[in-house]
Amino acid sequence: MIILSIDTSCDETSAAVTDKTKVISNIIWSQASQHADFGGVMPSLAQRLHKERIDWVVDRALSTAHCSLSTDIDAIAVTVGPGLAISLEVGISKAKELAQKYNDILPALKSGVSLQRRMTYQRSIHLRSKLRSVLECCYKPIIPVNHIEAHLLSPLASPSTDHRPPTTFPALGLVVSGGNTQLILIEKIGKYKILAQTVDDALGEALDKAARLLGLGYPGGAILEKIARVGNPDAYTLPSPLIDDKIKNRFSYSGLKTAMYRLIEKEKPLTKEKIYNLAASFQEVAFDHILNVLSYQINHQPLAISHFLLGGGVASNNLLRSKLRKLLRPYEITLHVPYTKKLCGDNAAMIGVCAYLKSRNAKNLNAKLKSIDREPRMKIA
Amino acid sequence: MYNSHMRIIKENPNIIKLAVDALKQGGLVIFPSETTYGIAADATNPMAIKKLNNYKKRPIGKPYSVAVSNIKMAEEYVSLNNTARNIYKEFLPGPVTVVSYGKHKLTKGVESETGTLGIRISSYALVCQIVKDLRVPITATSANASYMKRPYKISDILGNISDKQKGLVDLIIDAGELPHNEPSTVIDTTLDDPVALRQGEIKFTDKNEVLSRSEESTQNIAKELFQKYESYLGKRPIIFALIGEMGTGKTQFTKGLGKVLGIKEEIVSPTFNLVNTYTLSPVRYTLNHIDAWRIQGPKELETLGFLKTIEDKNMVIAIEWADRVMSEIKKQREHALIIWVKIKYGKKENERLISWGTL
Repeated sequence: MIILSIDTSCDETSAAVTDKTKVISNIIWSQASQHADFGGVMPSLAQRLHKERIDWVVDRALSTAHCSLSTDIDAIAVTVGPGLAISLEVGISKAKELAQKYNDILPALKSGVSLQRRMTYQRSIHLRSKLRSVLECCYKPIIPVNHIEAHLLSPLASPSTDHRPPTTFPALGLVVSGGNTQLILIEKIGKYKILAQTVDDALGEALDKAARLLGLGYPGGAILEKIARVGNPDAYTLPSPLIDDKIKNRFSYSGLKTAMYRLIEKEKPLTKEKIYNLAASFQEVAFDHILNVLSYQINHQPLAISHFLLGGGVASNNLLRSKLRKLLRPYEITLHVPYTKKLCGDNAAMIGVCAYLKSRNAKNLNAKLKSIDREPRMKIA
Repeated sequence: MYNSHMRIIKENPNIIKLAVDALKQGGLVIFPSETTYGIAADATNPMAIKKLNNYKKRPIGKPYSVAVSNIKMAEEYVSLNNTARNIYKEFLPGPVTVVSYGKHKLTKGVESETGTLGIRISSYALVCQIVKDLRVPITATSANASYMKRPYKISDILGNISDKQKGLVDLIIDAGELPHNEPSTVIDTTLDDPVALRQGEIKFTDKNEVLSRSEESTQNIAKELFQKYESYLGKRPIIFALIGEMGTGKTQFTKGLGKVLGIKEEIVSPTFNLVNTYTLSPVRYTLNHIDAWRIQGPKELETLGFLKTIEDKNMVIAIEWADRVMSEIKKQREHALIIWVKIKYGKKENERLISWGTL
């Protein structure tokens, strides 16, 4: 099943072609630019809404995959939420436009229309209205996809068709990005339970903001990781968030952010070494908070879990990966991360893979075109 | 069509002059750097940039970052704020690209559509010397065509481009296979520009100030403030314009508004999404939670549907970093009740001073 997928949930404009779980092409607009070769620059809102971006990425995704929309693509998948409403709209309307333009039945119907010209007037009117109603409901199937679910299942994407990571459900999943931090129990694909989520900032957002407090610009999560590698994580003591919680079912970064602000004020003027140490100390506490909640949830999990999926922009952070691996090892839980870091940040390939995994129970393929709409605050469970 | 002029020369001390001459004549030069092989064009020469666009095959409207030789040279082309200065001091020369507002002195298309420009100072001596001798910035884009593999050796480049593209290149400086370093990290400093910050404009009377000792008490203050003005709702929308540094509790304040409105959903930071809308069902009031920090100018606020939300008389709007869009909010004085709320750090860890006024 070959899917053209589109994601325009927030900052990125992306399109991809996937075959089942295999990624054939995965085009992200910002990566085309010098700036974003490196990830990091915030596009202006106007740029995010540029129509030319969506056309360009879709064309590029198809041409890189050597696919023709009319003959090779079986379905179109698109992110419907959560995200910024006006951004989501760009992707959804593009998907609808393509679905209607390139439906399989249209060419056949067109020849039918020329045939009907030769028919009697009466019959032709009857046929025409019938044809019109058929036309209105035929299009390439569109599969609406939840952006968080796509991040969650992104470790299941593969570079080749026969290379899907072996996972069994129930499994645990963690989505950590600029907009979300959710620990999710995956009972099976399509059935989820949120075990913990953030009550204020997302993890990626907290890292970006810490970088900004350190005078590293915004978003600075990526550079924070880089310089934290040379810093000493024990140089400063920052308070672990929500350490007193009896039931650990939430994440919070507001208190840590404040503590960081105070600490930086105290340490000013900042030297290079101080910045490195502050970055390392903040990252350490921010990640340990995740591990803290996670280990509670594993210990209180009645179901037998042997797989853990990690997705989202912060999933590319090597320190977080190694910390998770270390935590999961004694429980004999295998950590799965996306096979390339390009699948961590926002991208359309994960949308295509998610659409395929979900559409195997078919009913998603029957979504009516009109019923597909943006859901800016869409929930996964 | 293969260009017989394209020269591939091993890196040597005499090559700097060759490269500078080629660039002066509007040529394209492929050079080694501390990250990947880059392709240079004189960033002040429109013909050279046109040639580069053809080489890179990139979509319209994609900016190039440029390499300069030192911070002084950078200042000729961009305005540096404090954040930028700090980063130059700490990380340059090195694999970091710093984005600032440009001074529009370079060829059109080098700066971004919004007038920002990414600047690098290479720690690779050869690159620095070329820029120094040329005396104008060169483009510092990687030498692959858009979407091709990162070039760490010359064959990575030549194997992936057409003869036509090869024909556009005048000189290749071959330094063998480069260490596989990551591309440079890009840092945007324009969001820290204090252009919109005119906090002095809002005056608060002394009496409208309370001390918050915890997140809960900040939420409670929001609740009480809302109840004080609740009777306006239905006649006019209420805007809570929140001003306060990072970590002071603007989102906490909004959580309090959510609670008093009866919104069950968790109210989280809108920084990433820019705006979060919470609707009560059955619909009575709607809470629009906006983060203006990433909003660049009044037009963007409009794009987010700000003016349209004001039309809804049952709307409660909380805008974080309201000082960045102060004039836009003030324009709504006739149509909405505007409550300016300022949150400042207090003396003790959890203390905040919260003051307000309906200007």
